[in-house]
Amino acid sequence: MKMSKMKVNNSVLVIGGGIAGMQASLDLASRGSKVYLLERSPSIGGRMVQLDKTFPTMDCSICIVAPKMIECLRHSNIVLLTYSEVQEVSGSTGNFTVRVLRKPRFIREERCTGCGICAQYCPVEVPNEFDMGLGIRKAIYIPLPQAVPLKYTIDEEHCLKCGLCERMCGAEAIDLYQKPETITLNVGAIIIATGYELFDARTRSEYGYGRHKNVLISLEFERLLSASGPMGGHIVRLSDGHIPKRIAFIQCVGSRSLKGGVGFCSSACCMYATKESILIREHEPECEVYIFYNDLKVFGKGYEDFVSRARDEWGVKYIRALPGEVAEDAKTGDLTLWYEDTTENVTKNIKVDLVVLCPALIPRAANKELAGIIGLELDRYGFFKPKDPLFAPVDTNVEGVFICGYCQSPRDIPESVAQASGAAARAAEVIASAASKEAR
Amino acid sequence: METEPRIVAFLCNWCSYAGADLAGTSRINYPPNVRPIRVMCSGRVDPAFVISALETGADGVLVTGCHPGDCHYVSGNLKAEKRMKTTKELLELLGLGSERLRLEWVSTSEGGKFAQVVTDFTEYLCKREPSPLKAGFEEKPPIKAEEIISKALKNTNVQYCLECGKCSGSCPISKVNDAYSPRRTVERFLLGFGGTILSTADLWTCMTCFTCTERCPSDVRFPEFVRACRRVASKEVMEELCAHRGVPIALSRIMTNPGLKQQRMSWLPEGVETSQRGELLYFVGCLPYFDVVFEDFNLELLRIPQSVVKILNRAGLKPVVLDNEKCCGHDLLWSGDLENFERLARMNVAEIKETGATRVVTACPECYRTLAKDYNELLDNLDFEVLHVSELISELINEGKLKYDVKVPRRVVYQDPCRLGRHMGVYEPPRNVIANIPGIELSEMSRNRENSVCCGVSAWLSCNKYSKAVQIERLMEAKATGADLLVTACPKCQIHWKCVTGEKLPISSDEMTMEMRDLSVLAAEAMKLI
Repeated sequence: MKMSKMKVNNSVLVIGGGIAGMQASLDLASRGSKVYLLERSPSIGGRMVQLDKTFPTMDCSICIVAPKMIECLRHSNIVLLTYSEVQEVSGSTGNFTVRVLRKPRFIREERCTGCGICAQYCPVEVPNEFDMGLGIRKAIYIPLPQAVPLKYTIDEEHCLKCGLCERMCGAEAIDLYQKPETITLNVGAIIIATGYELFDARTRSEYGYGRHKNVLISLEFERLLSASGPMGGHIVRLSDGHIPKRIAFIQCVGSRSLKGGVGFCSSACCMYATKESILIREHEPECEVYIFYNDLKVFGKGYEDFVSRARDEWGVKYIRALPGEVAEDAKTGDLTLWYEDTTENVTKNIKVDLVVLCPALIPRAANKELAGIIGLELDRYGFFKPKDPLFAPVDTNVEGVFICGYCQSPRDIPESVAQASGAAARAAEVIASAASKEAR
Repeated sequence: METEPRIVAFLCNWCSYAGADLAGTSRINYPPNVRPIRVMCSGRVDPAFVISALETGADGVLVTGCHPGDCHYVSGNLKAEKRMKTTKELLELLGLGSERLRLEWVSTSEGGKFAQVVTDFTEYLCKREPSPLKAGFEEKPPIKAEEIISKALKNTNVQYCLECGKCSGSCPISKVNDAYSPRRTVERFLLGFGGTILSTADLWTCMTCFTCTERCPSDVRFPEFVRACRRVASKEVMEELCAHRGVPIALSRIMTNPGLKQQRMSWLPEGVETSQRGELLYFVGCLPYFDVVFEDFNLELLRIPQSVVKILNRAGLKPVVLDNEKCCGHDLLWSGDLENFERLARMNVAEIKETGATRVVTACPECYRTLAKDYNELLDNLDFEVLHVSELISELINEGKLKYDVKVPRRVVYQDPCRLGRHMGVYEPPRNVIANIPGIELSEMSRNRENSVCCGVSAWLSCNKYSKAVQIERLMEAKATGADLLVTACPKCQIHWKCVTGEKLPISSDEMTMEMRDLSVLAAEAMKLI
């Protein structure tokens, strides 16, 4: 294949293997484009695999996302590049050259069967990122049971290089001396779907996250709720294992803040807090649930009904106030929230067993690096800037590079999926028009 | 200016007033310079009355009561004697001279003595220069209330209020007084009913501790908004709420007088070295006055400046100390008296610049904030950096220029003063100063650093049952850590806490009384300097 003849490349690089990245990849692959789906972590799936249920339909999250992950793996037009990072991008629309770093898994991917014997014998235990540090994994691990690809990874930072896994592996898949690899891709278009990370709730120290054991952040709580989570789906307090009788959610921890946080609404918290509240009432009907909010931002189809149902049918109590602080009783681990009920105009306090903070969902810090590599513009919060927020929401200042999902602006799952399909269509369009120009 | 001396005389109802009456009915002549005020007992005469009389233009104050042993209330006159002794010390410090205050015993039958006392005092005052406080100031231009408030609504971000109530959930006062809410105060201003608050105690309730500001998602600087409103608020309400009958604030006001030459340097111990000019200046603050005003508390607050100078000397530094340093104006600023604050700021800055200092260190967080922040906002080109002494000591320790000499085998707990912590963001240097002391164990209250709780009063305003409740809770929190020494970097914390531990309270004082120490004093002790 000579480059001079084949200037327009029919393949697309998708950066980010979350739900938006997967959707864009599948759309493009189905129409015949070759897709490189690049993911930083060892498995695709993104944030959605960590969730227990999805709002407002209450679908089991992993149940609906796992088939998509498998489809990405199996699709003949999709090449998965997990545990990889973009190093360099050159060229222009229709013909980008991308250098990709493939970090060493210390596993020969082609040999690993995913049997897990290595992990059984690995002596090193570390907190599990997938369970937000609430569970344990080994230094040789798969992030989640449904990992795609089902290939183990050795976490270089914690591995002792004892070689036990190497001896136990029947497939001879372990390679403790694996080196990082660099590969070069030629693609016609690039789609970015890097998603979000969480605002550090520790910085709002008045709520005591990181100091008080029974103050959790929502994604941790989501793992507690999840049947595949560290507690097997039982809602218990981390301090003493008791079933909480009263749980409070605090909204807007770091979001909608002119100071000490970020200036935007994360757009998903009111809904997922409602969802988690319903799940609590399902799991533990005796447990009272309070949601402390400032404004309920429930704007999607069926969302208002969802909240009404939570309030009226499930008895979730919504209180219009943001608590000032959470105090801990050092002996019992119980928590006291101080707040002003702004509908009653009285300053009150309430004792609860568990507090769940809903931290702001923020664009990934690494977006800066990626934007520098590609030459993209970021807005002041670190979201990728669309070419035109109204009429070209998935286009960027670099022709042939598209954005979708939370990395473009705050949004929930359905919107991310819709936008991913949009970005895929725009990428296909660009490739097609470049090819037709070439033909002429 | 009036040249005849004017004397305000407080006469006790039972002896002296009748004595003065007798002088009148007996047609005894005495100078007409005296303005008598009848009080039930000479013991009723508060230092605040004396200060107030002098501040408003009296040249002398005469207090007369029954002879010792004759008091209608057994010992009121003896109390007066004690009080007037302290007041005289204050006048001496201010440079007004203690002779401007006279205490005399005049009984009902001593009409002649009364006339004699007045004559003597008048003659004495005639010989002296008139009181420098008599000069007064030009009439202030009228304050444009609406303009000030609408500006403040903008500048302090009040208009961005989300009405989430996080402030009220954070406010130490709201927790004990549910009628008070920063959010509702703001709401009323935003709805246009703010005027009603200007004449209520609510406006003077805020301790300006910045807890709400620290946590507000909209960066509403409520205490600063309150400060602006206090400028235009009813001063009658404020005066009622002033702690210690307004003496501390009156002292600050008096110091705005350019003719005043204070006599405040007697605290300087022998053998320490200071300079007239130099790079480093130590701004002492009101400590020489506090030891007198709060004599009963026996806090020995002057050990603080003594420690600071000795520590600096140990590090080879000879700080400049101003002999006519004025109050920094913190309390005036936060009680809405911007004009007088400006006067003090300009005088202090001029004096500091005169010395050529490039670094100003202070042991009082209130001075620290005021000099570093508020002076800077008011006057451009300050040309000097302001440090809290904990920052300087911590720096010197880190550089190896200061070392501790003795072990202090104690368990201490540190209180973050509002002005040092939340206002200025200084959390770690004081901890560094403490933790470096050999043998010391530093424990923390559960609410520390930016979540620390105010000592209960600021700018001598609104000291009431709610602030007492805040203080008691905080002291109990400190005690519960198991520490045996409570260290703070602010002299005011010590004053306010000492005050509450002396009250008659329903809880046992064992639950909250702790030995207290200022950070600088603790450091000096560990260096065997004091």
